[in-house]
Amino acid sequence: MMHSRAPDNAVIMPGMTDAVVDVRELRKTFSVTEREEGLAATLRSFVKRHRKDVNAVAGITFRIEPGEVVGFLGPNGAGKTTTLKMLSGLLHPSAGEASVLGYVPWRRENAYLGRMTLLMGNRTQLVWDIPAADSFRVLQEIYRIPEGQFRSTVNELTELLELQELVHKPVRNLSLGERMKVEFAAGLIHSPSVAFLDEPTIGLDISMQVRIRRFVAEYNRRSGATILLTSHYMDDVVALCKRVIVIHRGTLLYDGPLADLAERMAPYKVITATLHDGAASSTDLDAYGTVVSREEGRVTLRVDRQLAPERTARLVNDLGSRLADISVEDPPIEEVIDRVFTSEQTTVSA
Amino acid sequence: MIRTYRALFVAQIQAAAQYRVQSILWMLFSVMRPVIFLAAWVAVANAQGGQIGAYDTRDFAGYYVALALVTNLVFSWNAYDFEFEIRMGRLSPKLLRPLHPIHYAVVENLVWKMTTMIPLLLILGVVIVTFDARFRTTPMHLLLFVPSVLLAAALSFLGGWFLATTAFWTTRVHAVSTLWDRAVFIFAGQIAPLALLPGILKTISLALPFGYMLGVPTEILRGGVDVPTALALIGGQAFWVVVFYIAFVRLWRVGVRQYSAVGA
Repeated sequence: MMHSRAPDNAVIMPGMTDAVVDVRELRKTFSVTEREEGLAATLRSFVKRHRKDVNAVAGITFRIEPGEVVGFLGPNGAGKTTTLKMLSGLLHPSAGEASVLGYVPWRRENAYLGRMTLLMGNRTQLVWDIPAADSFRVLQEIYRIPEGQFRSTVNELTELLELQELVHKPVRNLSLGERMKVEFAAGLIHSPSVAFLDEPTIGLDISMQVRIRRFVAEYNRRSGATILLTSHYMDDVVALCKRVIVIHRGTLLYDGPLADLAERMAPYKVITATLHDGAASSTDLDAYGTVVSREEGRVTLRVDRQLAPERTARLVNDLGSRLADISVEDPPIEEVIDRVFTSEQTTVSA
Repeated sequence: MIRTYRALFVAQIQAAAQYRVQSILWMLFSVMRPVIFLAAWVAVANAQGGQIGAYDTRDFAGYYVALALVTNLVFSWNAYDFEFEIRMGRLSPKLLRPLHPIHYAVVENLVWKMTTMIPLLLILGVVIVTFDARFRTTPMHLLLFVPSVLLAAALSFLGGWFLATTAFWTTRVHAVSTLWDRAVFIFAGQIAPLALLPGILKTISLALPFGYMLGVPTEILRGGVDVPTALALIGGQAFWVVVFYIAFVRLWRVGVRQYSAVGA
C-alpha cells in the first residue's frame, strides 16, 4: 500500500514550521550573456561578453501543509520550474530559505531524496532501451525498497495507471502518453511524501490528460502525499487544486483558494442568455452589461460582480418567454489567469 | 550497494545487448590504432636491422597487443556522455536520486568492457600469431598487472569525470576532452612505447598522469620492466589516482552548486 513515511532524521531549521514545504524570500538569479545581432557583435563577444543578471525568482514566500495539492501557476518564464528545481534540490538558490519535509533541499541528503520526487512532463528518467519493469527493479535497489512494499506499490501503480501491457516493452517503443504513465510510476515507486509535478500532462491527448489527473487525485487521496503542480492546462488545476499560487516575473501575485481567485482577480461575472426565437443578433442587450459575443440564439454578457444578481433578474423579467436558458458563472479560469498576468497587480493573499 | 550494482549491471547488460553490433564496432575502432602503430614500428625496425632501442619486432608486437588489451580495459568516454547528459537534461533525474551519478557510469563502463572482451581477445590472438609477439611476462608481472590496470582504469575514469565536471560551468566540454585525448595519445604510450619517447616527452609522460594510464600497465603486462620499477610505477599510479579523486570530489561539490539544470 502506498504510504508517506514519517520524518526520520530531518533537520528543522530555526524559525521554520512543521509545514511540509516552507519557503521564505527564495531568490534565484541567473547570470546570462547577451549580445546584439550581427557579425561585429559576434566578433566583439569573443573578446568581451556582456553579462546580465536575470531574476528568475525574485523573493517568494509560501508554505504548504501536509496532504495539500497546490497549483503553481504563471506564464512561461515566471519562475515556476526554477522554484520547483530549487525545492527538489537541483538548483541552489541565490538567497532565501526553504525547507521541505524539514530538509534543506539543495543539500540533497539521501534521506531527503528518498522521500520526494520531481516529475517533469517532457523529460524521461527511465532507461530508454529496456522495459520499464527492469528500470523499476533498479529504482527498487537505489531507493532500498523492501520486496514486499515494492511489489505492493508496483501492483497499485500498475492498476491505477493501467500499465499491464506497457511495463514489459522497451521504453523507446512506447507512445508519449504511455511513456508518461510509466514515468509517473517510476517517479512514485518509492512512495514519496512530496511530489513536484512540472507540466505532467504536457503534450498528451485529452483522454490521457484526464487519466493522469484522476491518477494524481487518487494518489494524493491514498498516500496523503503533498503535491505542488505546475500546468498550463487549467483543467489540471481545476480538477486537482483547491489552492493556487500565482507567480509572475519571479514574484508571488496570489496565494489562496482557487475559488476566490476569480472573485479577487476578475471583478465580473459572465451571463449567458439563450433566446427561443434565435433573435440574439438583433436584440439590444447592451443595457444589461458589456456584450462579449453574439452567436445564433446566444448572447454572452460581462457584468460587474456586484450587479450580476440584479441584472440577471432584470433580464429574466424583460425577456420573459423569449428566454430559453440563462446562466451566471465566474469567467473561465484561463481568462482570470490571463487578467492576472497582463495586469501588474501587487501580491494578493487570500 | 552490492545489490544496487547488481541491479544496474542487469539493466545495463540488457541495454548493451540492444547495441551489441555498435559495441563491437567501437572495439574494432579502438584496436585499429595499436595495430596500425604496430605495423608502422615493425616496418621501421626492419628498416633499421630489426631493432630499435630494446625493442625488436616481436617486442613491438608484444607491446601493442598488451596496449590494445589495456586500452580496452582502461578506456573511458564519460566526459563526452556527461556533456550530452547535461545538455539533454538527463543528468537531473540522476542527481535527484540517492545514488551518485558516477555509479551509473562505472557500471556502463564495466559492461562495455565485459561485452567486448571475448571478440577482442580473438582478434589479439590473431595479431599475436601474425606478428609472432613476444612477452617477457613472469607470474610476478601478472600479479602486479592486476593493481596496475585497476589503478589505470580508475585514473582514466576519474580524469574523465574531472574534465566532465567542468561542464557544470561551460555546458560543453567536448573541446577540452578532445585536447585531453590528444595528450593521452602523445604521452601515454600510444605513439611509441614510453622507453622510446624522446627525452623531454618521456619526462612529461611520467611527470604527468598520462603515462600511468596506458604505458605503465602495458609494460608490466608484457614484462617490459623489472619488479622494483613496476612497483615504483604502480606507486606513481596510486599517487595520481588520489590526486584526481580529491580534485574530482572537490570540483563536483562546487560544480553542483553551479549547476543551472539547462534543458531539464
